[in-house]
Amino acid sequence: MSAAARRRSVYDWMPAALGIGTVVVFFAALEGLIQAGLINRFIVPPPSEIIGSFGRVLTEEHVVSRFFFTLGECFVAGVMITVFGVAGGVLLYRYKLLQQAVETWVAALAAAPVVLAYPLFMVIFGRSAWTIIMIGFVAALSPVVLKTLEGLSGTRKVLINVGKSFNLTGSQQFWKIMFPAALPTMFVGVRLGLIFALINIVGVEFLINYGGLGQLINDLAERYDLPGTYAAICFVILVSVVFFMFLEKAERWLRPVD
Amino acid sequence: MLSPSSTRNDILVAKDVIVRFETAEGPITAVDNVSFNVRQGEFLSVIGPSGCGKSSLFNVIGGLLTHHQGSVEVGGETIDGPHKSIGMVFQEESTFPWRTVIDNVCFPLELIGLPKAKRIEKARTFIKMVGLDGFENRFPGELSGGMRQRVSLARTLASEPKILLMDEPFAALDEQTRLLLGDKVLQIQQQLQQTTLLITHNITEAVQMSDRILVMTYRPGKVKRIVDIDLPRPRTSEIVGSEAFGRYVAEIWNDLREEASRGLQDEEEHLHGASGS
Amino acid sequence: MAETGRLTRTAPAAPMFSPVTLLRVAIILAFLAGWELLSRSGWLYRDVVPSWLAIGKALADLLLHADYYFNLGVTAGEIAAALAIGGVSGLAVGIVLGSNRFLAKAYEPYLYYLGPTPKIIFFPIMIMWFGVGPGSKIALGVLSCFFPVALSAAAGMRQIDKVLIKVGKSFRANTWQTVWKIYLPAMRHPIINGIRLGLGVALIGTLLAETKLSNKGIGFLIIQAYSVFDMPRMYAMLIVLFVLAIGANALVGRLGGLHTIRR
Repeated sequence: MSAAARRRSVYDWMPAALGIGTVVVFFAALEGLIQAGLINRFIVPPPSEIIGSFGRVLTEEHVVSRFFFTLGECFVAGVMITVFGVAGGVLLYRYKLLQQAVETWVAALAAAPVVLAYPLFMVIFGRSAWTIIMIGFVAALSPVVLKTLEGLSGTRKVLINVGKSFNLTGSQQFWKIMFPAALPTMFVGVRLGLIFALINIVGVEFLINYGGLGQLINDLAERYDLPGTYAAICFVILVSVVFFMFLEKAERWLRPVD
Repeated sequence: MLSPSSTRNDILVAKDVIVRFETAEGPITAVDNVSFNVRQGEFLSVIGPSGCGKSSLFNVIGGLLTHHQGSVEVGGETIDGPHKSIGMVFQEESTFPWRTVIDNVCFPLELIGLPKAKRIEKARTFIKMVGLDGFENRFPGELSGGMRQRVSLARTLASEPKILLMDEPFAALDEQTRLLLGDKVLQIQQQLQQTTLLITHNITEAVQMSDRILVMTYRPGKVKRIVDIDLPRPRTSEIVGSEAFGRYVAEIWNDLREEASRGLQDEEEHLHGASGS
Repeated sequence: MAETGRLTRTAPAAPMFSPVTLLRVAIILAFLAGWELLSRSGWLYRDVVPSWLAIGKALADLLLHADYYFNLGVTAGEIAAALAIGGVSGLAVGIVLGSNRFLAKAYEPYLYYLGPTPKIIFFPIMIMWFGVGPGSKIALGVLSCFFPVALSAAAGMRQIDKVLIKVGKSFRANTWQTVWKIYLPAMRHPIINGIRLGLGVALIGTLLAETKLSNKGIGFLIIQAYSVFDMPRMYAMLIVLFVLAIGANALVGRLGGLHTIRR
């Protein structure tokens, strides 16, 4: 590496250091202000207390089983959106008239605040995991359908011609060429859907006070366990961020280099 | 014919300007000890092959590039950022697409806080000067490339700079439009007695418009020669056909050919080197 | 939307109505009919799927009483305040991050990864800090819409044609002039899109907060209808809410669209 290049790679970690440094300084300052009594510790618990309660929350509140409960809900919702979303996208691709009629509605569904209808879902499914899963499903379905449609419609002409040159039947053409070619785009749709699903699922768990991690926060809040509530929120945000990062990595791994 | 240069008449003085850059391949010197003067009211072109550092020079004089050695002085003041006496016209599309023609031209006048009525009056004058009267309320998106460059020119002229600094403003236009716009610029320059500094790679353009031409070498860019263009004024594009014109063009091409081929060679070696490593 | 070739269905009798419109009408009618059948069948618990008559009555009842508009005003006010605060701060942060590579590398990842997280879980904290009134709802709305606006603005800054910034510099525009006369107009499309997204999430955040803990607003009305099992009323409110939400989204999009004539 040249001297200039070496100099540049040293500077690469500086922004990250600034970011992390700012966070550390912020929490240290917060701790100081609270300990000094300038901020009411019964409204904002000191960060040291929050970190301290992590351990307690993790063991006493069965965080692990809650985590898997929420994950389970996401998994079911994920499977449902994949099956119905891809099927829906294929259907719209196959029947052009249907696509023309319905595509804008599907796009509108993506923008619609589905989660606001959670009381309705509660009436239909009760205060149960199914309410949570169904809201996750409805809120997350749209991107999968649209991306599947996009992936199939955008198949490169040359690949279709290759299929034709081998005299493939319509069905073979679809399953051996178009569908595999559309997989990366479909996965983008599933990724988007999973993110919507997780956000809605955790949100609804909190709102209806049932389920895994979302319910944990609600529970701790209702018990006025302040440090616990903050700790639980931090934990859920962490899970959410890791989930998002994982999906990004998975997508990059699935996408061929182009 | 213009009298030989006297320092009292110099409006811009560039002294030993050196511009160096750090690149992935190591440091390169874009401009190497360039010194020259620009006299009041003259039209000076800086011409050179690609890679001669003329864009760097443009940015230095315009005050957009302050990381350099040597100095550039305007009316005795050293340039340390965009100077109020210098107006720049860029090579790329630079009109604001969300403003009408007249609002574009009013822009510098807004910045200095001129009241609305005065702004409009002044803007109209310059719009007329570039030949776009009638188009005041159009948007740049509705105009051709040549017209948009005229808007940019009018906008810069509206700030009434002592020196007009242009970086290949007609590069993106076709030859005929370029010649006609060149006429327009000459007309304006004559009318306003505007000191103009034009950066270009087009020899015809340079000879057509300039009083003097500064020829630069290939990287590291130095001043190769300064040529006095002794063609009668007022000039129009008609002059392109004359014999004297042809001689000047040939003379400058001679100088440039050597530099341009050095540039080409350098590029080829570079590509070979890159693919080899 | 993909352009398709010929239609393979038989041509319609009336030339005015395209096959697409007919299909849409057919789907809607099928849905309405199916709904009504389900409602009268007695398969589901009463009123889970009320008849259209009942929903219609509830809708009329809703829209003809001032009470609804009062609550609508409360919610709309909260959303507007959230969008104003979150929007302006998001814009400011986005502009700063978009204009400075170093700061962007330091801080933007935080915005990017914290953005897609459920913000409603912060509601207990908002209540502690801002009380049980509109303050906590607005705060949640601000938290929700800050991220998409900031990220859109940062991205928008980076796609501004560099030459336009040079023009500003060459005329020695000061910071305020540069932001107001160059950055913001140049970014109008990304900003409008950011606001659309921000409006969507602010709406959700504010309304969900209202359903959780409030005594005013549309969210409160919805949860109230749920608690007394007044299903026709709940359906009516949800219908109006969805129409308004989609309408607001389209309106903001249209506002952004008007600007496209110029470029």
